[in-house]
Amino acid sequence: MAVSVSTDRSAGFTLVEVLVAMLIIMVMALGTAQLFAVSIRATHAARNQTATTALASQKLEQLRALTWGFDAAGSGLPVTDTTTNLSQDPPTNAGAGLNPSPPGTLNQNTAGYVDFLDARGLWVGTGTQPPATAMFIRRWSIEPLPTNPNNTLVLQVLVTTVARDLEMAAATGPRERWADDALVVSVKTRKAQ
Amino acid sequence: MRDAGFSLIESLVSLGLLMAITGAVFGLVNPNAQISQTQPEAMDMQQRARVASDILSRDLFMAGAGLYSGPQTGALTNYFAPIIPRRMGYQNADTYTVVRGDAITIQYVPNTYSQTTIRDAMPQPSSELKVEDMPNCPKNQELCGFTIGMTLLIFDAEGHFDFFTVTNVQDSAGQLQHRQQDLSYAYDAGAYVTQAASQTYYFDAATRTLRHYDGYLTDVPIVDNVVGLTFTYFGDPAPPTAPKPPVGKANCLYDAAGNLLPGLPTLAAQGGSLAELPLSMFADGPWCGNGDNRFDADLLRVRKVRVAVRVQAGDAALRGAGAGVVNSGFSRSALRSLDDLTLRFEVTPRNMNLGR
Repeated sequence: MAVSVSTDRSAGFTLVEVLVAMLIIMVMALGTAQLFAVSIRATHAARNQTATTALASQKLEQLRALTWGFDAAGSGLPVTDTTTNLSQDPPTNAGAGLNPSPPGTLNQNTAGYVDFLDARGLWVGTGTQPPATAMFIRRWSIEPLPTNPNNTLVLQVLVTTVARDLEMAAATGPRERWADDALVVSVKTRKAQ
Repeated sequence: MRDAGFSLIESLVSLGLLMAITGAVFGLVNPNAQISQTQPEAMDMQQRARVASDILSRDLFMAGAGLYSGPQTGALTNYFAPIIPRRMGYQNADTYTVVRGDAITIQYVPNTYSQTTIRDAMPQPSSELKVEDMPNCPKNQELCGFTIGMTLLIFDAEGHFDFFTVTNVQDSAGQLQHRQQDLSYAYDAGAYVTQAASQTYYFDAATRTLRHYDGYLTDVPIVDNVVGLTFTYFGDPAPPTAPKPPVGKANCLYDAAGNLLPGLPTLAAQGGSLAELPLSMFADGPWCGNGDNRFDADLLRVRKVRVAVRVQAGDAALRGAGAGVVNSGFSRSALRSLDDLTLRFEVTPRNMNLGR
């Protein structure tokens, strides 16, 4: 049986050739689109990291601004803010100030030690459940330094995204810190001038 | 043999497939092309906001750092207000009654051993200062380590202060000289002299830049495409008690007998520690200091500063319209639009919170 194989290219491409070429172009275009998606995710993560770091520093500075010194009369008596509630914006008097926080305030939303912020970094609420407009969760802890509990505090602030926190809530085991979470730690001490 | 060419059906089917696939490819490529234009700009905006935050935070952290190795030690808040919400210095300084929410002057003593006092009382205006050679002064260096071009601060216990730049050092005579920058007060012997820094940051709306002025001759832009800069101040609800002048002298807080003057109110605190200090509070006196360096006594309360820096996309083609942008651009595509980015941060200057 004779098989006719055309080697004359002047007849143009066959339908199959065109389809294969299109398929290759599609695969390449999809690959390029993946690169764009990676770039967008990286930019988004960088923006989140900038935001979480700034928000964590902001709360740390608020904690550092609370009174933790000695009385102005010079009698040597320590003076401590034990009333400011920093989970409200502006702060109120119905809080615990620089009193030690209960255990686990960095891992779960604890009244008085958490606030929620929107995508622009503005305060949108506090409590145990973030409101629908919240994008970031900010938690903090206040612990006396074991070697100098009366005069030195260890302050920690963790900022994460609501989406990330939902993933964490579903996981078992100790909470891990992700790349775009921010955890800042500072020590506040008092001494007579 | 295909010499007969394609049938009409084959042509239509292949054309239909070609159009469908080409359409799908363009559907992918077109948004990606738009996004690829915005991503570098988005990263640039973040970077500019970070630079502004880093630079301002660095100097705000240092605000109020004072003498630490000379005849007297302690934060500058014990003598004058280290943070003043206006442009200060030799060129284009705001008058002392001006209060700006988009400008700040931050003053501090950097890491230096050049800390001493003046030996003789000064006439005013004086271009010469005779200074003591203190034990803390660096050895084997001219006149306590002071050099030409160095920025110095002179201040006393009554609330007077001045910054100037050294133009000549006469080691044998124990004398420093400066030009042009007339001092605001005739300081008594014993006034403190130290190397120092006066950093003014302000928003220039005309060029949309955040600028830095060193208090003398250098004024440079540091971040461009800035469309907003706001400083908000928080401080002690109780009236300030320093600077306290020597008995027999009065200042903005004390009479000559050493009694605290009435007039400054106790404010309602937000929480147990700080109260927000509206800008209007810094424009109503009583005035401390002298001459162009006068400042409102309420500035001595300041303990925390909140900063908001707003940057925009540099390319107007990547800005849309609406509440998200200060300056509308040309973009009408959501994929090619970048809203302004606002970075908010707070700084509690460590040296302005010592002992509290």
